[in-house]
Amino acid sequence: MAKWGMVIDLDKCTGCQACTTACSMENNTLPGETWQDVLFYNAGEYPSGQMKWLPRPCMQCENPSCVHVCPTRATYKDPDAGGIVFVDWNKCIGCKYCMIACPYGVRFYADEKPLIEPDIRDVFPGENAQLWSPPYQSPDEDWRRGIGIQPKGVVSKCTFCYHKVKNAPEGIADLDEDNPDVKEYVPACVRTCAPKARYFGDLDNPESHVNQLIGDKHGVRLKDHTGNKPQVYYLGAGAGVPAFTPADRENDA
Amino acid sequence: MTTQLHKNALQGPLGWGLLVVAMAVLLVSLGYALSQIITNGHTSFNTSSALPWGQPIATYVFFALGSSGLGLIASLPLVFGFKQYYPIAKRCVFLAFALLISGMIVLALELGHVFRMLWVIPLNLQVQSAMFWMGAFYALDLLFLLWKFSKLQGGHWDSKTAKQVGIASFIGVLLASGNLALIFGMMSMRPFWFDPLMPVYFYVTGITTAVAILVLLTYLAYGFSRERMPAALIALSTGSLPKLFAACLGMTLLFITARAITGLYSNNPEINVVWADYLFKSGVYIAALLIGLLLPFIVLLSKLRNKMSIQILAAFLVMIAMFVERLYFVVGGQVVPLFKGTWIPDLISYIPSATEWSLTFIGFALCFVIYLLGEKFLNLGDMPNKMLDHTTARKPIETTA
Amino acid sequence: MKLFETLINRRRFLQSSAAVGASAGAVATGMTGLKGFSTVSEARAQTPRGETTITKNVCAQCPARCGIDVYTTNGRVHAMYGDTGNPIANGKLCPKGHLGSYFLYDPDRFKGPMKRTNPNKGRDENPGFVPISWDEALDTVATRLNDLRRRGESHRFSMFYGRGWGASDAGMQGDFGKLYGTPNAAIGHSSMCADGSKKAKHATDGNKSYNSYDYRNTNYLLIIGASFLEAFRPYNNVMQMWGEMRSKSPKTRVTTVDVRMSPTMAASDRALYIKPGTDGAFALAIAHVILSEGLWNREFVGDFTNPNMRFIPGRRIAADSFNEKWVHGLADWWNEELIERTPEWAEEITGIKASDIRKTAIEFGSTRPAVALFERGATGHFNGTYNGMAIHSLNALVGSLFAEGGLGYQQGPSYGALPADANNYLDDYARNGAWKDQPRIDMKGTDRWPMVDNMMQEVAPNHLAGDPYKIDTAMFFYTNPIWSAPNPKVWEEALKDVFIIDTSPFPGETAMYADIVLPDSTYLERLQDIPSYPFEGWPMAALRVPAVEPIHDTKMYGDVIIELGKRIEGPTADYYHALGNIENVVRHLAAGFADDPGDNGVDSFESWKEKGVWYKKPYKWRQIRGEFYEWDGRRYSRQLSEEEVQEHLFKTTSGKFEVRSSYLEQHAAYIEREMGIPRERAGLVQWVEPRYSGGDGDLHFITPKTPLHAEGRGANIPQQMMVHQPIVGGRNTVYLEVHPQTAKDRGIRNGDRVRITSDIGSIEAECRFVAAHRPDTLVLPFEYGHWAQGRWAKNRGPGNSSEITTNQSDPISGLANYYTGKVTLERA
Repeated sequence: MAKWGMVIDLDKCTGCQACTTACSMENNTLPGETWQDVLFYNAGEYPSGQMKWLPRPCMQCENPSCVHVCPTRATYKDPDAGGIVFVDWNKCIGCKYCMIACPYGVRFYADEKPLIEPDIRDVFPGENAQLWSPPYQSPDEDWRRGIGIQPKGVVSKCTFCYHKVKNAPEGIADLDEDNPDVKEYVPACVRTCAPKARYFGDLDNPESHVNQLIGDKHGVRLKDHTGNKPQVYYLGAGAGVPAFTPADRENDA
Repeated sequence: MTTQLHKNALQGPLGWGLLVVAMAVLLVSLGYALSQIITNGHTSFNTSSALPWGQPIATYVFFALGSSGLGLIASLPLVFGFKQYYPIAKRCVFLAFALLISGMIVLALELGHVFRMLWVIPLNLQVQSAMFWMGAFYALDLLFLLWKFSKLQGGHWDSKTAKQVGIASFIGVLLASGNLALIFGMMSMRPFWFDPLMPVYFYVTGITTAVAILVLLTYLAYGFSRERMPAALIALSTGSLPKLFAACLGMTLLFITARAITGLYSNNPEINVVWADYLFKSGVYIAALLIGLLLPFIVLLSKLRNKMSIQILAAFLVMIAMFVERLYFVVGGQVVPLFKGTWIPDLISYIPSATEWSLTFIGFALCFVIYLLGEKFLNLGDMPNKMLDHTTARKPIETTA
Repeated sequence: MKLFETLINRRRFLQSSAAVGASAGAVATGMTGLKGFSTVSEARAQTPRGETTITKNVCAQCPARCGIDVYTTNGRVHAMYGDTGNPIANGKLCPKGHLGSYFLYDPDRFKGPMKRTNPNKGRDENPGFVPISWDEALDTVATRLNDLRRRGESHRFSMFYGRGWGASDAGMQGDFGKLYGTPNAAIGHSSMCADGSKKAKHATDGNKSYNSYDYRNTNYLLIIGASFLEAFRPYNNVMQMWGEMRSKSPKTRVTTVDVRMSPTMAASDRALYIKPGTDGAFALAIAHVILSEGLWNREFVGDFTNPNMRFIPGRRIAADSFNEKWVHGLADWWNEELIERTPEWAEEITGIKASDIRKTAIEFGSTRPAVALFERGATGHFNGTYNGMAIHSLNALVGSLFAEGGLGYQQGPSYGALPADANNYLDDYARNGAWKDQPRIDMKGTDRWPMVDNMMQEVAPNHLAGDPYKIDTAMFFYTNPIWSAPNPKVWEEALKDVFIIDTSPFPGETAMYADIVLPDSTYLERLQDIPSYPFEGWPMAALRVPAVEPIHDTKMYGDVIIELGKRIEGPTADYYHALGNIENVVRHLAAGFADDPGDNGVDSFESWKEKGVWYKKPYKWRQIRGEFYEWDGRRYSRQLSEEEVQEHLFKTTSGKFEVRSSYLEQHAAYIEREMGIPRERAGLVQWVEPRYSGGDGDLHFITPKTPLHAEGRGANIPQQMMVHQPIVGGRNTVYLEVHPQTAKDRGIRNGDRVRITSDIGSIEAECRFVAAHRPDTLVLPFEYGHWAQGRWAKNRGPGNSSEITTNQSDPISGLANYYTGKVTLERA
């Protein structure tokens, strides 16, 4: 079985956030429930200020701390699904410990105050035990892997679009959206990336393009010191995430 | 052995009055919380995906650790033979039970799917999770507490099984609260909490909380009057108990100071900023430290510590301060946004919502209701016969129970 | 609700998948017959739910025209991705594109035609819309138009459009005006959009158009005031090309000049901050260095007759000493303008260090092919056309016009003829009626605005003044000037006594003034042709195929015009009966492909519908080393004569690229009068001082477009609002971006509410600090400040930036000066 990995080239990424909106459409996430997000950081000052950004999906860690802490095994890493970390919505008790334990802040408890009022959940009220039921809901659903629209009281997260990826031909090295035969199996964020800053493929296959890129361009993993060993690699300048500084101090002029 | 009934203040009209008030608070809070949770779910909380654990979790931690502290104090006489603690042993065990149940109820109301927990945890046995072990040991703890209490209720203070249950319970308490500590202390991605000595910190602060609650409620049981108290209890409350209280407070302060100094010294913003810009920027937190912990500690160091009014005041202040400490501890580990960039440019602000407050009130009210019922019906002031010194006993107050 | 019923029914037929592993819960099976809350089991496994169909469409959230695949299952649109077969999209999309289904299912959409019952109009007036039938709605409008025509006042009917897509919607306004008899039939929004860049090109190379670009082969990109990675069109393709340029060999080097920190600035190799409105000075200094360093492309531009001669700063050259090839007026340009335009001179004006200007110029002049591109940042000023001309002239100096890796213009598609020719249906009134003597309401083409394409921003003030006359009835398509025009409160006042027909699917501000609402279908419900915007030059036309039947009682705008036309007296009705409907129109257009099949085999309406796009590569012409060639089917082999170059490529009087513009010289008297430029200098590409509007404020006020600004609808889409302004974390609102020192000088803290004031008004906003911005420049991305537009947009965020934007325009292009305002800032 493949070990699915993603490579994000920050030298090509334009920070447009198409990955974020493609994800929100494909997975029907709520506003603010950004399974895939682009983080921006500012530093320095005119005329030499810098701004950088990095897209941030779930890292699908090889050694996922969220999985270790889950008291019910609701969140689990599935080696038969390319090592993707899922949340089983039938098992999750909503203790939110995994959200505490995730170093990358990529888990969501959507049953929270709406980011944007009026609450879209009131506009498209939930039916069939779902938190909400928009008319544009995707047809795919698999609660055992946290795919679909979640019920109340569970944690949700990026699934690497497993409902697409699972259809990939056995043994394929790379899921390249430019290959018409496999484009439907490519995660939404990768598929839509206009500057082609994202790549998706099998990290267990030394012949894969993702491994070639990691090798050639010195791929790094974010927050590697946590030991979580993400299956998402970053290329190029800008993968250094600045330490947190409260906003009004960071801009002390 | 026979059990002798001590008519304490709460077995009279005062008890009924307080019970009615506590029940009222409980029912109102519970009604409000349930209506909010059923209609609005967790949108009625002010927690969020960025800061998932709020005051309900802090409330749970407060009660769970208070319960563990009480359990540890109870083991002083029941396991380690500190006989002078017999007069509060039964009350301790019962209070430990009351606090634990209350904490669990609050936690249950906080979870997304509480009933699902009943089958998924046993069926999946995730032994890697500290939360699993915490749940398992607190469940055991609850059983041991009930068992132990039934022994005491039966007057078995020194029987072999009572002893064995006591030892098991003592170990259970250590494991339960220790695992609760590890839930936080093992989170290396949350450096504010990450601390191998977190279990020790939790034991110490748990006992501190326990002593405060115990002192407060014991005096309440006797109508805030030493006249009514048995001699052995008076001896304890003017003897080793306030010293224990002072010692625990001192250790708590030492722990907090050590954590604060390392935190403030560290360059790591996920620790440093929490201390500098969150905890020490909060008037409530500073007040809790100075007025709720330091002041009682200083007072208790002096000879004043044996005065009932001082003890009551100190206990009250410490109880509030420890609640504040739990809240700031739980929230403090999360206020630095993890990987949010400009989306969350500052520390995450969190103020508990009305629903979250109602959960806290449920905890306190439920605990108090259970305690009052215990005082009323279960003779919590009981102790081994040989401890009862009739010659110094105050005139019993006749009431019609 | 039909929608929800469908959804419920779909769920009731959940089928278990055999593939699911052991799960503690049961799997939902058929639940038919249960109403309301059916207790579907909590264990929900992977379930295919009905057949998914993919239809071809074209995104409508910006002008780029990306082809999209629309995924529909059980009658519900649930996804869209870029169409792999569409040369603009190449399977990709920008962040807006994915949100199309949110347009379709926007809960605030108009559900069908309506009429107004409250005669009073204003922000706080509820229009009191009541539903009516399409027949009643169209009859009401037609009666009104026929009455006007009978009274000889047909010119008092105006039709406005914003985003027009082609022959099948806004493209129909022109013929309608011709047949009905009004000069005001197709007043476009281009003067509130980007006419400045078109005019700069018109004035220099004779093409009234934006450029097409060959980014793939460019080695140097000089981006000036264009928000290349946020808003430059076609945005999606621009980003694809960015990926190519930044990873090809050699990597395309990028210098960006802008007035603020932006993703484009941040991602460039060199970011140069410029004082707003001074881009022309920068470009002139670049030109100065290119000439004085001898870096110009001699094959294209020409050369000195004596190879030892050079351009020496401060020293004039003899006019006959330079042999001009394809650049007309170069000697004059040097002698009369560039001679003094040194980097040191430009530093004083632009604030960009002379050394940076010189470095940039040397890079730009010595890296081939190189492209200089610009947009409203440079042209949204009083001197915008001249700024644009100066920048565009750099492309001439380095010879990148029509070259590989350079820029060109867009060819049109091989459309067939319409079913009928409007010229055959003109009655006497249409040919010679009184309306023929009336100017356009916006005074385009009069002595007031002789050079503009449109002047929509002038309509409200002109109407209020009754000069040239008052309009009686106005129809709006895809434009919302009551909110978006500069100084929009004038529009709020002006349109109170006008009978308004709004055709937006959404309840915008202009719609709140409507007397009749004729709601358009959203793009996912429309059939229409979409010829390409300037892209790579070769002809292309995409097609919108409805993914679903209109989910409400709406009608595609082209069909509304046809149905309205059928109700107009005289031969007009016959013309529209001949057109029939939009599908018939589109079929006739597609007939043209039969003789000229596209590269992807599209040769008919059916194949067009299936593939979604017709196109023919490559671009027809190419300039190679100063000579022009035409594509012969295999290579660029046939050399063009000078006359052919003038006919197809340099459509100027000289047939060359003019740095002394004959077009401007034709209007020299006007330019002298309006801009104070001596008429003999009017044609020169030159430095003209900007005229900042807004009063004596000390700060520049900039209102850029973000990548998430979905045209006309962004403010009402929660999934857009959640990530609107990542630079400062603007979600749920938009923050004013301000330099911390600028704020602190005024006692303003990060996050404070502030008031921004110009001489026409004030708006409030919350601020956030951006230390990388110019301290003298405030940045407020436009999006919010709506008083209508839907439940999410209404009353959200900061005030409308247009309300502090003076209605001042570039006298030449007519482009409204959105980016030239000065304001003051204080704590609110």
